[in-house]
Amino acid sequence: MSATPGGGSRGRRRRFGDALRMLARSPRRALFTAAGVLLAAAMLSAAVVITDGLGGGFARASARADLGDLIIRFDPESARTVAAKLAALPDVSGFALRSEITSVGVRFGAHRSGTAVAEVLGPGRRQGFAVVAGHRLPAGGAPDVLVETAWAQAWGIAIGDELDVRGLGPERVVGYAEGPDDVGYPLGAPRFYLTRAQLVARFGIPTVGPVNFAEVWLRDPRLVDEVLVQARDESYGLRGLKFSTRAGVQVLISQAAGLVIDLLVALSVIALVTAAVMLGAAARAEVQRRLRSIGIRRALGAGRWALAAGQGLEVALVAVPAATVGTLAGFLATHGASGRLLSLLNEPAPGAGLILPLLGSWALSVAVPVLGAAWPAWRVTRGPVIGLLRGTDVATSRPRFPWPARGGGGLTGLGVRLVAARPARLVATVAMLASSTAFILLMIALAGTLSSLETDPQELGKRYELTAAAPAAAAARIARLPGVAAAEPRYELTAVDAYELGELVDVVAYPRQLSRFEAPPLAAGRRPHGADQAEVGVGLADALGLAPGSALLLELPSGRQLDLRVSGTVNSLAYEGLVAYLPAAVLLRADPAAPEQIAVLLAPRASTATVSAEMRRIGFPPTLTAGAVARGAPLVAVLTTILRAVAVLDGLVCLYALLQACALTVQERRSTVAVLRACGASPGAIARLLSGAVVTLIAPAAALGVLAEAWLLGPALARLAAGYASLDLAPTRVDVLAVLAGLALAGAIAVWAVTRRALAEPVLAGLAR
Amino acid sequence: MTARRLNRREALLAAAGGAGALLLTGCGSPRRPAADGSTLASTWVDPGTGQLQVGPGEPLRARVELGPARPVGAALARIAHLTDAHVLDASSPARVPFLARFGPPLQSTFRPQETLTVQVLAGAVHAIRAFAPELVIEGGDLVDNNQANELAHALTVLAGGTVHPGSGPDGYDGVQLSSDPDPFYYRPDIDAPRHPGLLRAAVAPLSVPGLDRPWVPVLGDHDALVAGELVPTPVTRALAVGDRALWQPPPHLHLPAGFRLNPSGSPDGPPDPRFVAAFLAQALAGPTVTVGADPTRAELAFTVADRLTAAAAGPGRPSPTVGGRLDGVRDIGAAVRLVVLDVTRRDGGSGGLVVPGQPAWLAEQLAAAGDRWVIVVTHQPLAGSTEGGERLLEVMDRFPRVVACLAGHTHRNRIAARPSPAGGYWMITTSSLIDFPQQSRALVLSETSGGGVVLDTWMLDHVDDGALGSVSRQLANLDAQGGRPFRFAGTPRDRNVRLFRRAVA
Repeated sequence: MSATPGGGSRGRRRRFGDALRMLARSPRRALFTAAGVLLAAAMLSAAVVITDGLGGGFARASARADLGDLIIRFDPESARTVAAKLAALPDVSGFALRSEITSVGVRFGAHRSGTAVAEVLGPGRRQGFAVVAGHRLPAGGAPDVLVETAWAQAWGIAIGDELDVRGLGPERVVGYAEGPDDVGYPLGAPRFYLTRAQLVARFGIPTVGPVNFAEVWLRDPRLVDEVLVQARDESYGLRGLKFSTRAGVQVLISQAAGLVIDLLVALSVIALVTAAVMLGAAARAEVQRRLRSIGIRRALGAGRWALAAGQGLEVALVAVPAATVGTLAGFLATHGASGRLLSLLNEPAPGAGLILPLLGSWALSVAVPVLGAAWPAWRVTRGPVIGLLRGTDVATSRPRFPWPARGGGGLTGLGVRLVAARPARLVATVAMLASSTAFILLMIALAGTLSSLETDPQELGKRYELTAAAPAAAAARIARLPGVAAAEPRYELTAVDAYELGELVDVVAYPRQLSRFEAPPLAAGRRPHGADQAEVGVGLADALGLAPGSALLLELPSGRQLDLRVSGTVNSLAYEGLVAYLPAAVLLRADPAAPEQIAVLLAPRASTATVSAEMRRIGFPPTLTAGAVARGAPLVAVLTTILRAVAVLDGLVCLYALLQACALTVQERRSTVAVLRACGASPGAIARLLSGAVVTLIAPAAALGVLAEAWLLGPALARLAAGYASLDLAPTRVDVLAVLAGLALAGAIAVWAVTRRALAEPVLAGLAR
Repeated sequence: MTARRLNRREALLAAAGGAGALLLTGCGSPRRPAADGSTLASTWVDPGTGQLQVGPGEPLRARVELGPARPVGAALARIAHLTDAHVLDASSPARVPFLARFGPPLQSTFRPQETLTVQVLAGAVHAIRAFAPELVIEGGDLVDNNQANELAHALTVLAGGTVHPGSGPDGYDGVQLSSDPDPFYYRPDIDAPRHPGLLRAAVAPLSVPGLDRPWVPVLGDHDALVAGELVPTPVTRALAVGDRALWQPPPHLHLPAGFRLNPSGSPDGPPDPRFVAAFLAQALAGPTVTVGADPTRAELAFTVADRLTAAAAGPGRPSPTVGGRLDGVRDIGAAVRLVVLDVTRRDGGSGGLVVPGQPAWLAEQLAAAGDRWVIVVTHQPLAGSTEGGERLLEVMDRFPRVVACLAGHTHRNRIAARPSPAGGYWMITTSSLIDFPQQSRALVLSETSGGGVVLDTWMLDHVDDGALGSVSRQLANLDAQGGRPFRFAGTPRDRNVRLFRRAVA
């Protein structure tokens, strides 16, 4: 080691060499540091991939597809009539009309579907979707189509293949398309695009025909509400109107993605802080170990900056490759799942847009340990050189806690006291472990709950699991069955708007506990709190110009009218938002014969099968509420994969924290350990010593972690997700035992590894210290 | 003495002050609307978003179809043309606002800005006062629905005083209330752009200074007929002062076959009153709403003509109607004569009608004008909106001193040259105050060298002392059934122009 590193390139080369030599002397320590940096970098880059992917996915998709600011669907109407109405609207920079045909039969190989959607495009380059592979549809009458990417991936449709469309015959696939106004197959229906020109050429239909879909682009999208009002005012004569705005679609998707993003960001922060604390503590201990050599170099004229930079450089030589590997590992672990998730949402992956954020996370993963290493060196050199030369030992301050001050507990107790002698580090480490434990439990519970949901996203917002075709009077009897939390009559019918807009509105009513059984997230206003109040879906609000405080007039099949006051609007995915929720008394006054059923809410962890059997026994066979498995399962599977991958990463972070804590304890108490060994302590004794330290960390962390998940994180997440699904996130006994076992295993590994390392050092080296 | 050098502090302050002055004088400072409403200085423009902003003024463009451009001499007359204010009682039960959802030609039965007509008229009066004309032509359709209270409000604005724009016990009780569930009406408390409290502000008392200068009325279809279409009947009279209003369309209301708007016709409605009568019959069979009754809503029928002329003449002065018609002449100074023709139908229908004797009367007045330059004024344009209008135009074609034929009714700025063997004249229509662009017209007739004349004309935006006028203009611009999509503002050649007319041969 050089005494006076000095400045200039020569000095830098010398410092570089010194750092390499120091690393070569302690390869295990270097590897340990590298492991911590690698884990933190992996967690951080995983969070970046998911966050950037999900968080920016809709914006990317909208920009790439040039998604319209306003999408209007209606019953078929003359294109000329619709065009005239749209041309009269303010702020319109352009619009495209098309005919959307549903329930189209398609076949490809062994795959069949009768629910495909054919988008028959009119002329114009702006259409609101992106061609992501292949080429655009030709202007002529060739039998060419574009298919949605997610559908093509699911069925294995390649560009150039022929898709058999009922009524059209073989259609050649010339490219893949993605339209962010809807989710991809199988979440949504399979969708393909073709031109009206093709149909004109083949069947001789008029060039301009009826349309039922308009996509509108605005010069100033901030004025979409004003345009919506005028569009509604112009719409008399158009029936079945449904409005959706770009901002509205984004809100819906962002709400769901936001939950996942928030979780991952929180996890990555925990991992990064854990690694930073551990690495900082290790660096401090290392500095303490080198006090004498640092003092000599100071005495010979080395500057504080040079010494701190030397420490930092040493860590940087480890952190740079470790962070690189970790960043790549986090990216690889999540990139595929994230890409699949985005594909299901018809959103593109960030692609090269990830480079900068990943570089940023890499830089953070390097900077934190480097600064954590340089800072203690900087601090320790501020005092007089003589103090450094004299050397100091670990415990420079009096213990803050009176216990365990003296004796008792044997070697295990001594291990407890050694860890407790550093109360700040003890608290920080326990906090980190507890947070990680809580999040691992949360991830496991969420993954398990999502897997068991197997819910069609259209059904999100409903909390009850079963329904039974039974009279209202049966609700009380069903509610008394074991495993049933609540049962209430549920009324549902289809009403029509009173203004001849042709809007079919689904009216849902409960006698008492509407929000307990069904409560999509509130978009504006508040839940109904008065006798004649209703909350309406955003789709209905847009169609009829409703806002909190508005009056709503609906015509029932009975011929009578419902006169309601809107208390709030909800983001309901069900019924395309054309829904109104209200108290049953109001509905029954207007239509005493409203169709009824019993909605059944199961108790937490109650078995659907058991309750169903009970209901059949008493004469009310139930129906499962959850929709078809197929459509929602891929989304759930991807989310589950992501969550489990993150849980594993977090588990590794816990292991690292324990290893680091034990290693620091041994490092700071080398002389103590050396004395014990000199007095004849066996490897098992050293292990007992370290076990005491580990137990001191794990025991409170596990308890705090379990309580935090059960009382704080689980309920908080359940509340956040309340509008989308009913989540039971309380940890099961099995989950808790599994995590505790994992912690114990991590502790055991830490004890074993550090014990081995401690025993490898010669006793005299420790005594000399 | 040597000049004192600036120290650093002073130099920096001077630089900052200079930069600030630069900014304030226009390098990025927001443009203000002209205080006098003159669109020569600035005007309201729509950059394509529907949101109006103050833009640069429009200079006068020369139009030489009827004579070469010549140096301008002395001004002969300074006139303002204010037309189609449609001051209306939005709470009146005698309105059928639900017809607007059927689109043209019925879209004018409801407008989002219809509660603010008094405020807009007051703003137009303010701009005209700033222009300081010798005479103001009130071009017809001063009111919307032949109601006494509408006329009282409008005349108070013109004369000066305090106006109470509301009616009924609540001031406003109409289809724009937030409690109205009908999605086809703009409800300012709920619908974007939201203006909470607008309906209450619209009926608040308003003090106005009045025109404070001579004005001459022209009779419009809406002045004399219910909704500009119908001669008042016992049914409409009872509706007006009653407590039952028609807010919702009856079930299965439909347009009669063959119902179309005349492309050059008025937005006021179809020319044939039988269509509207058919609608009323269906509407009265539908659901009604209880509102507060108000006897001041009484319909005036053709007594409105007398009231208009009496108001224009001033207290104690004779009103120059002849048999209840508003045909008349008015001289402006020694060089200009105004000939007002009343072509409003007495049997119903929004279009004009030339009655027997009118062409001869016009010829007499034109002959009697002598060396005066003549401006003929009607409410409905003689070409395209008036039955028999061609006969009047043929009369005017023969007289060399007719400079212009001025009209309203179409709510559209338009200027066309009508060549004739006698020299030709300019056919000018002026936009309304109720539909975008909500402008009046300033006219200055001046001599030119060589014996001809030039008629300088430019638009006047109504000036807003409060915020309601601006709200009205913005709502009018957003209206998908209003002046913007129908291009009522015209082209620049229809607005601020210099219209040359060669000398009499």
